[in-house]
This record gives sequence, C-alpha cells and structure tokens, in this order.
Amino acid sequence: MKRYKKLICIMLCAVMMIGAFTGCSGKDEKNGIVVSAGTTLFDDSLDPIKGGMYYGYPFVNEALLKAAPDSEYVGCLATDWEMVDATTYKFTLREGVKFSNGTDFTAEDVVFTYETVMNNQALNQNVDLSSLESVTANGDYEVIFKLNKPYSPFFDATAMLQIVPSDSYDATLFDTMPIGTGAYKVVQYDTNQQIILEANENYWGEAPDIERVTLVYMDESAAFAAAKSGNLDIVMVSVSYADEKIEGMKYVEFDTMDVRNISMPTGPVRTVTNPRNGEEITVGNDVTSDINVRKALAIGIDRETVIKNCFNGVGRPTVNYTENLVWTSKNGYEDNRKEEAKQILTDAGWTDTDGDGIREKNGVKCAFDVYATSGDDDRYRLVSAVAVEAKELGIEITAKTATWGEIEVLQYTQGVIWGWGQFSPTVIRSLYHSDTFLVGTYDNVGGYDNPQVDALIDAAITAESREEATQNWIKAQDIANADYPYLYTVNIRHGFFISDKVDVSMDTQIPHPHGHGAPIINNMADWSWKQ
Amino acid sequence: MSTHTHTHTDDNTKKEKRFEFNRRSFVSIMVVFAIVYLVGIGLWGLIMPEEAYAVDYGAKFVSPEISHPFGTDFMGRDMFSRCIKALSNSLIIGVLASIFSSFIALFMGVSSAVFGGWVDKFVNWCVDLCQGLPHLVLLILISFMLGKGVKGVTLAVIFTHWPSLTRIVRAEVMQVRSSQYVQAAYKMGKTKWQVAFGHILPHVIPSYIIGLILLFPHAIMHEASVTFLGFGLPKEMPAIGVILSESMDYLATGKWWLAVFPGLMLLVAVMLFDVIGDNLKKLWNPESGNE
Repeated sequence: MKRYKKLICIMLCAVMMIGAFTGCSGKDEKNGIVVSAGTTLFDDSLDPIKGGMYYGYPFVNEALLKAAPDSEYVGCLATDWEMVDATTYKFTLREGVKFSNGTDFTAEDVVFTYETVMNNQALNQNVDLSSLESVTANGDYEVIFKLNKPYSPFFDATAMLQIVPSDSYDATLFDTMPIGTGAYKVVQYDTNQQIILEANENYWGEAPDIERVTLVYMDESAAFAAAKSGNLDIVMVSVSYADEKIEGMKYVEFDTMDVRNISMPTGPVRTVTNPRNGEEITVGNDVTSDINVRKALAIGIDRETVIKNCFNGVGRPTVNYTENLVWTSKNGYEDNRKEEAKQILTDAGWTDTDGDGIREKNGVKCAFDVYATSGDDDRYRLVSAVAVEAKELGIEITAKTATWGEIEVLQYTQGVIWGWGQFSPTVIRSLYHSDTFLVGTYDNVGGYDNPQVDALIDAAITAESREEATQNWIKAQDIANADYPYLYTVNIRHGFFISDKVDVSMDTQIPHPHGHGAPIINNMADWSWKQ
Repeated sequence: MSTHTHTHTDDNTKKEKRFEFNRRSFVSIMVVFAIVYLVGIGLWGLIMPEEAYAVDYGAKFVSPEISHPFGTDFMGRDMFSRCIKALSNSLIIGVLASIFSSFIALFMGVSSAVFGGWVDKFVNWCVDLCQGLPHLVLLILISFMLGKGVKGVTLAVIFTHWPSLTRIVRAEVMQVRSSQYVQAAYKMGKTKWQVAFGHILPHVIPSYIIGLILLFPHAIMHEASVTFLGFGLPKEMPAIGVILSESMDYLATGKWWLAVFPGLMLLVAVMLFDVIGDNLKKLWNPESGNE
C-alpha cells in the first residue's frame, strides 16, 4: 500500500507540474504575447511629464505628432499644424479622442501637459521647453504655442512630449500606470520584472489585434535562453546571436537611426578652466588634434570589414550622422582608401622611423586611447575592430573601458565611442557647436570649434521654417564633417527573434531611435497575429 | 613514526629502501610539482609576446583543436595563450598582494601579542571590523574607491586579507610569549622589540609561511571574482575574471570552451596552492604529517 501511495503522489505531482507549465505559457492561448526588448523601458518613469518615453515609441500616452517610417512627422493627437511665424505654432487637435479612463481629450489637456512641464522643467531633462513662452487653448480643439525666441527644434518637442489627462494626472501613479490615449494601457507594473499591457477599449484608432502584451525585464543571455525554450514571442538579441537558430522564430533586423562615432580631441594639449565647477582641467590631444590623422582614419579604415569583424556583419557603414533622418547630411565619401590615407600621414610628417609599424612625428607616437563604457561589450568590440584597421595605417588605437564617471574626465584628452540616435536635431548642436564644449557633460567633448559651423547651427535653430532649418542643419554637418572631428563608423541595426505567429508590421516600423531594443514597440498597435 | 626514527631506519636499511615511495617523498614531489607548475605559468605569461593572443578575425570561435587547444573567442584570440597570460597576471597580482597582506598580518599579530593592552585591543578591533563586513563587499568598495584597475584590485586584496593570518600569528606569539626563555630574556634587560624579533619571530615563521601560502588561493580567487563583477582589472588586460565574464555572453549559444578551460585553469592553480600549503604543513609539522 505504501508503495502505491508514493506512486500516486508522484503521479499527482507530475500532473500538477504539467498543469502549471501549460498554464504559464500564455502563447497557446492566442490572446497575448511576451516581449523582451531590453531593459531600458524599466529604467525610467513612464510619466511623460518627467520625460518618460520621449524617444518616440510610447505605448500608453501619445504626443501631438509622431514620426512616420520615413522619419517625417505625421499627426497623432493633432490633425493639422502650422508655423504661423518664427515664434508661433498652431496645432489643430483630433476630435473624438478619449483617454483610457473614459474622459475626453481636449485642448485643456495639452495646455495642462505643456504648462506642467514648463513649470517643472527640472523634473524633465529630456523635453526642453525653455523656449516656450505660453500655451493657450483656442476652443476645445486648437492650441497655440508662443515661443520666447525663434527655436525651430520646438517642433520636435511636440513629437516627444506625450499628453496626460488634466483631470486625473497623478505624479506618483503615472510613474508606473499612466493614463493615456494610446492603443494600450498598463494593467500591471512590476518594477524590474514586467509591464503587462492590455488593449485600450477607448482607443480612437483601429483596435489592436493583439490584446495583451507583456514586456519582460531580462538580460540578453537569459532572454535568449528563454526564447529557446519557447517562452518568448519577441526577443531582442545582441549581434553575436545573429547566426543562431530558434525553432518557431525568425531572425529579423531593423533599421535604426543609432550611430556609433568616436570623438577625438581636436585641439592640442592645454589647460583650461572648467565652467561647470571652476577647476583647472587638461584638454586636447597632440595626436588627434592633427586633422591629417583624423582624416586618414576617416577615409582609410574599411568600415565594412570592421562591421563584419565585430558585429557579425550586422549594421550599415556610415560616414555621417545616420542616413535615416530628414535633417542629416547624406553626403558621404568612399572609405578604405588606405594608400591615400597613408600618403596623407606621410605628407603631414608622420613616419615610422623605428620600424614598429606605428608612425611618429617629432618623437610623438601616432597613438591614442579610445574608451568604451564598461559593460557595453559591443562598443568595446567595435573599437577593437577599428583599432585593427587603424594599425594598417600606422596609427595605434588602444581600446579601453571605463565607467561613465571616468569617461567624463577622459573624454577631453582621449577618444570615446558614443551612441547617438534621436529625432531632435539639437544633437547636432551638442556634437559640433563650440559653445557647448565643457558646458554640457557629454557635449562636443573634442572641443571642435568652427565659427562657420556655429553660425549655421544658430541659423538652423532660429529658422522660420522647418525646411530652412533642415537646410542649415545639413550644411553645418557638411562643413563640420570636412574637419573630421568624429570618426563615424556604423549605423547599427537591431536584431530580434520574432515568433512565426506574430507580425510586427515591418512597413510601419520607424527607424529605431537609440534605445537598446526597446524601440521595436513603436508600432505595437499595428502588430497582428499571422493567419 | 616520528621523524627521528624515520631517519634512523633510513640509515640502517639504505640499500633496500632507497626507492621506496613513502609519504615524505610523495609530499615533496607534490610540492615541487606544484611550485614548478605555478612558477612556470607565471614566467611563461611574463615572457609571452602580445602577438600570441592577438586579434585575428579570420579565426573567430574556433572550437578546441590542435593549433588552438582552448579554442578561440569572438575576436579570434587564441584562448590557450590568453589563459596562460591571464593566469600569470592573476598569479603575480595574487602573490604580490598576499605577501604585502601577510606583512601587515605579521606586524599586527606580533605587536598585538607582544605589547598587549590597548595595542592588542586596537588590533582585535580592526580584525573584527574587517571580518564583520562581507569580504567581497569590502573588496569591491576598496577597489572601486581606488579607481579599480591593477592598483585598485591589488590594494583591495592587500587590505582585506590580513585579518585571519593576524589571528594565527597573534595566537602563536601568545603561546611563545609565556615560555621560560622569553621571560628570561626580559629579565636580562632586553626590550620588547628585541625579544619580538630575536626570540618570538623565528618561532612564528613556519606557521606564518604556511598561512601565507594558504592566503595565495584566496587572493587569486578574490581578484578573479572582483574582476568578474567588473570592479577589478580592465577589459583590455587578460585576466581570468575578464575572460569568464566575457564567456557568459556566449554560454547560451554553446561556446562552452570559453568558460570551461579558463575556469579549470583557475581551479587547478588554486588547488595546487592548497596542495603546497597543506603538504608543507605536514613536512614542517611532523606530528600532523603522520596523522
């Protein structure tokens, strides 16, 4: 009898286990999917007032404008907009829109959102409204923005700042459970574990096909393992997994606007006063301050090979700040011109006199360090691969790692690898304008200084139309790029494994902004079940 | 069998017993082998040129074979050479750190026992303080504060590994302190320092050296773990911790050799130190040697 008891016990346990496991996998129930898209979604508050989701892939709250797949802005909560003059913008709002709690969306909510951010700008580092003078409602469906000075990037802010309801805004609740007009609403938020979303029945657009999306917090290798055992429907993977196979899933790559560039000090070694804290700091580098070194690198390295070596071939070579945005320069040049690059170095006096394969000039070795953030293995690999190419030219780049805190000091004297990718062209100002050197923590760290570029950037910012602004942004980049203050290398691509049952609507995906995989959710409302 | 009778038997039956494999010779061979192995790896790594583990994108992820016994990694670096270099780095840092750490222990232990009073209290307080905190946390804290890298991790290991040895030294000194000849030396007018160096220290040296050798594996393991967690040696320097943390990314895709061989190398090195320490203890301490 005892023996049977044990057997029955084991069998019962087994039955329970099977039940538990099938109960867990929501996959078969066909009402929801589980997505692992990096951990950045969990890093910050979801509250738009505090800068949540400003990169442009919100899933709960919506902004007045949104980016289309071609990176042009299209209406979201606004149906029409107009730049009346350099300091006045008029937006006509969409009618018949409701928040997920059932209240109507009107001009009052827009005014409330913008005024709250204006009055609490310190809470929001991501959407800069310092140029906004006033926002007024003209009836229920028209809003007029008055700026205190011409500031063309304000337009981008209207695509970055999502609207919250004026009646029910709650600064604490909205960190995790914001109420918005979007296709989904948060039904459960577990810090650093998961965010469960369900379709918003009050959504003004077409109801999403997939009713339930669970965004899970997993590190990359754990997520890959989970996908392999069939527990995930969409999983972001690093480029090192590009050759792997997962049953029932397909490997898909997405275009991004996310570039990796190496900053190099453009001035000689000198001591200056740091305006942020008044301390004396050393800036500049005697090797990279020679434009010939920077130019030789830019035209001499073979970006294709670099990408093949460090990223398994995933990514597009680029010599510009991404091709996937409206306001970026697309005027490129051929790279891998090794002989020409070598000639430039030789002509500039950099020759290898001691036979170690590295050039020297007046006793200075043609060598510098490039730092990658510790923990970001992809960037470290990229620098290592660039270093191999540079060595062929006789330039020694040493790949090193450091924390952001350390980089804040090292960035002024050595190279640093950066990742940039956002809709607002203000990044061009951060990269090239001489006024930003030493002022912004990570701005223009190479100390690039060209009055012509500064003037064009200022003209772009004060432009009276978006077209004029765009032209000036592009001109500024073209002139600056001829001085090679940055070594642009790759426009990365995001790799995902996607379940064969799910269609993520490739046609409506926007080029992913900087976001370590999270941007895939930008068109979540368009996702559907296959068959 | 005590040491004395052992030698006696040897003398009498030299011819027959010459090649007999007794415990003493076994222990000696083990110790010699371990020392040769560890010193060999240390030296090999020191003289190894950087080209031996240079980046070679043409040979990424080669699984173990004759030309790459430990395979290659995501940059095509030969893992065998990289492991040797890494282990050599770890050994040198570990040994250096342990030696300095043991000096602290020796100094603290001797002065605590010899001077007694508030010195003893202070040393004990320091020991308790250090041992009260989780070891790894203290290591990370010190290493991070000193800017990580070789300097950070070495100093962190130095400043955290002395307490246990201090206790041993202190206990030994306490024992010797009360013996007749020490008391006699005091009576003859020797100062505390003279007694400490002339009469007490020589007696403490054997257990100090064994303690020191048993400290090596701890130091090496801790250096590797702090580095693994990203608070130690930088990524560009071959180190077992770096190699192991890199290998984590590829475990899920089945690149087992990236983790297994370096892990084994570390394990073997650490175990060999234990072998040396334990066996030296047996040799120097005949009573325990014949247990």
